Amino acid sequence: MVSSMSSKADVWQGTLALMVLKTLERAGSLHGYGIARRIEETSAKLLSVNYGTLYPALLKLEQEGYISSEWGLSDNNRKAKFYQLTRAGCKQIEKETEDWEQMTAILARFLNPKIA
Amino acid sequence: MRMLRGWLVRLGSLSNKQRKDKEFDEEIESHVQMHIDDNVGLGMTLEEARRQAMIKFGGVESTKEAYRDQRGLPWLEMLWKDIRYGARQLRKNPGFTAVAVLTLALGIGANTAIFSVVDAVLLRPLPYADSGQLVSLSERGPDWSGGSLSYPNFIDWKNQQSVFERFGAYSGNNLTLTGAGEPVRLGAALMSAEVFAALRAQPEIGRVFGEGEDKPSAPPVAVISHALWQNRLGGQPGIVDKTISLNGKAYTILGVMPEGFDFPYKVDLWLPVGPSSADSNWQKRNNHPGLYGVARLKPGVTLEKARADLDVIAARLEQQYPESNKTRGVQIDRLLDNKVGNVRRSLWILLGAVSFVLVIACANVANLLLARAAAREKEMALRAALGAGRWRITRQLLTESGLLALLGAGVGLLFAKGVLRLVTVLAGESIPRAAEISLDPHVLLFSGLVAVLTGTLFGLAPAWHASRVNLQGTLKEAGRGATSSRTGIRQGLVIAEVALTFVLLVGAGLLLLSFHRLLQVNPGFAVDRVLTFRINPPEDKYQTDTQEILFCQALREKLRALPGVQAASLCSQTPLHEGGWDMLFLIEGRPEPPPHLQPSLQVHLIAPDYFQAMGIPLLQGRDFTEQDNREHLKGALAANAWGAGLNSIIIDEEFAKHYWPDQNPIGQRVRIPFGERGEQPVVTVVGVVGRIKENRLSDRGGMEQAYFPMYQQPLRNLVVVVKTTAEPGAMATAVRQQVSQIDPVMPVFGIHTMREIRNNSVAPERLNLGLLGGFAALALVLAIIGLYGLLAFTVTQRQREIGIRMALGAQRIDVLNLVVGQGMRLILVGVVIGLLGSLALTRVLASVLFKVEPTDPLTFVTVTVLLCVVALLACYIPARRATRADPMAALRCE
Repeated sequence: MVSSMSSKADVWQGTLALMVLKTLERAGSLHGYGIARRIEETSAKLLSVNYGTLYPALLKLEQEGYISSEWGLSDNNRKAKFYQLTRAGCKQIEKETEDWEQMTAILARFLNPKIA
Repeated sequence: MRMLRGWLVRLGSLSNKQRKDKEFDEEIESHVQMHIDDNVGLGMTLEEARRQAMIKFGGVESTKEAYRDQRGLPWLEMLWKDIRYGARQLRKNPGFTAVAVLTLALGIGANTAIFSVVDAVLLRPLPYADSGQLVSLSERGPDWSGGSLSYPNFIDWKNQQSVFERFGAYSGNNLTLTGAGEPVRLGAALMSAEVFAALRAQPEIGRVFGEGEDKPSAPPVAVISHALWQNRLGGQPGIVDKTISLNGKAYTILGVMPEGFDFPYKVDLWLPVGPSSADSNWQKRNNHPGLYGVARLKPGVTLEKARADLDVIAARLEQQYPESNKTRGVQIDRLLDNKVGNVRRSLWILLGAVSFVLVIACANVANLLLARAAAREKEMALRAALGAGRWRITRQLLTESGLLALLGAGVGLLFAKGVLRLVTVLAGESIPRAAEISLDPHVLLFSGLVAVLTGTLFGLAPAWHASRVNLQGTLKEAGRGATSSRTGIRQGLVIAEVALTFVLLVGAGLLLLSFHRLLQVNPGFAVDRVLTFRINPPEDKYQTDTQEILFCQALREKLRALPGVQAASLCSQTPLHEGGWDMLFLIEGRPEPPPHLQPSLQVHLIAPDYFQAMGIPLLQGRDFTEQDNREHLKGALAANAWGAGLNSIIIDEEFAKHYWPDQNPIGQRVRIPFGERGEQPVVTVVGVVGRIKENRLSDRGGMEQAYFPMYQQPLRNLVVVVKTTAEPGAMATAVRQQVSQIDPVMPVFGIHTMREIRNNSVAPERLNLGLLGGFAALALVLAIIGLYGLLAFTVTQRQREIGIRMALGAQRIDVLNLVVGQGMRLILVGVVIGLLGSLALTRVLASVLFKVEPTDPLTFVTVTVLLCVVALLACYIPARRATRADPMAALRCE
């Protein structure tokens, strides 16, 4: 779950799945390498994705039916496995976003007691 | 839901692993390639681009491993590996596996069998809806209970109570079915319509009778059983509204009850009780015509509340009708308790005993495993040295023992079937609900649980040991000497086995002694060469008492003429029967006690020669003759009231001693307070006979016994008794022929020799003894095997030591003493513990023992001697082998 590069932030446990889903929501269909790059770019290179974590996470999402995969060709004509959201995956994004927002709101109250 | 889906996918991906591994390899490959492409695009050299891409990707192998773990179910794969490894281990040691599996099969199988009995008889609810709310009702007095209800009492209870939703009553009856093949005797229950409603029982087809048909003048109707419908009446749905002939009377069939509806017991049909209640005898409050109550508690009403409510009603009736109801109360029990209460204690005792057997079996297998663990010590040390964690090793060993237990349970099920067959044979009809006993899923679940539990139980000690193995020591040492703490455990196990076996042996010994004493009881009649069978002259054909008496006389003549018959007679009931028929009596010329203190006598109606046929000694006076008939009535036709024709009585010796200790009882007069005063029969004592065991061989005390001439008071349910010169069973056909010569459509049923009746009467004791004896024998064998195994093992391990001792001058006898002494120490400790345990536990047997104290010293001494002698033998064999140790060989090894 943890990136080894000290200057970059770790990907928190549980957040990687949501990041993957959101990335796929925006990009449609994407291979593992692409997903990793997009996540890193979206985080403005603050995050570094560990592949030892990414691929099992992709597999888990697929096993749970949130994403599906098929082999295809990349931009530069390389054979690659492409992942895309399923209908269940779309719903899961809504649910997890909600959970996440609630969580950050709670945390915000601790960090900034004046809001409460 | 999603999680479940994930698990299923992961379970599915356990197959086809290689293809999936390859696919992931390709995915990584393409990932790295794309990265390289990008890097090259950024201006790196190809080499640098590849290097950077590989650095960024990180450990390929660890990623693959993480991916594989996520793809499959690692723990399941591990378990599967453990199982396969365990199975291989077991296959490699067929001897060990066979002994362990067989031992467990005996333990688990016996437990499964007894549990299936306990489950079916005691635990499972009765097969009626919401059966916990059902109660049974009977009458009770100051020192007795379970008496039948009088009809007027039933009606008053029913009308005045407010605790029951439904309250019905039933009684048993027998009828002859004609016009449907051979005439046949059918068991019937007379029931009030409310009984069906209380049980919430629905017919399979048609309907049950309602209040309208449950009235004195209602036309005759019947509800029939599934079996009768199928076997006798064609099994067609059109049976409803057809009529059948019962005792020569046409009954309309209303409906068919489904299979398995056996209330109050297995009967062929159910008739409304209403028509019988018109009988003037039924209307008497002091007549108890075998009627019992069954009711459904209103929701929320407790048993205690119902008891309190009915007690108030009974007290009121006591005041209102002191003549008949003085000291009569109401007995209410749960219907289940009422049905199985008499076997509850023995079944729990048996289950307790059989669980001892299981513990002993477990101890034996644990012992085997510990012995094997010694041999596998190096293997375990090696595994630990190669990095297997303690938990990993424990899990491996527990998987092995679990595997053993499951195998044991599987084989045990076959054994359980055998035990169940034995139970049904031994039990006869002494276990209620026996038809419901089966190895159903409930029971299979139980034996599965027992297997898992036992697997853990006997696997834990060896596993714990193995996981604590001392690496360096074991690997260095050439496997010499047992770890002392392991020997400690094994000795403890053997001691426990001996102690438990001792308890079981004492229990079995007590039951054996008790059974022996029971069979030695003189029943007061001859058991050998007496054949009995039942007949019921139907009312339509033998309408008057005279016709019936003529039939009985003709039958007796026919039977007496048969070659091989010494004597033939008839009676109302043979000895050793259930229940009985009792009546109050008064001695003429003595002050009359108040009704509730009046004594009772057991009524027997008999034809002449009964005592001769049954081998009951005539002590004084005379037997009844053909002349003890109704001639004395001089044609006065008051014979409708019961007993009006009686004028003589034969009493048993206790009766005579009790009432006329210093007088000649012959010629004394006894009054039966039945019916209106003035019409009550007064009878003269004409003879005194020996006392018989009325209900059970274990009877003590009990009512006075009285015999009346059947030709003065005939009855419908007759038992014929025939004394033969040869084996009575062989006479059955000849006897049947004689009956059919007089009346070709008279069914003969219930053919038994008196020996069979005697043996059936001890069926419960036989069952207890057979099972507990079997369990004790099994325990003894297992414990001896355990002891032998332990000693044989230690002898092998100490061979070198013994060799050295012998080289230093020890004699054979010293070595014998050494080994036997070790074994006997264990035995003695076990016996002492077992002795204390027995003293505490055999008390539970007190209620099933006959003329034996639970602490019977003879039994305790015998068991101690038996156990010690057998154990000595078990010690002797390995000890003798020890003496053959070759001192030279031992010295060379050092």
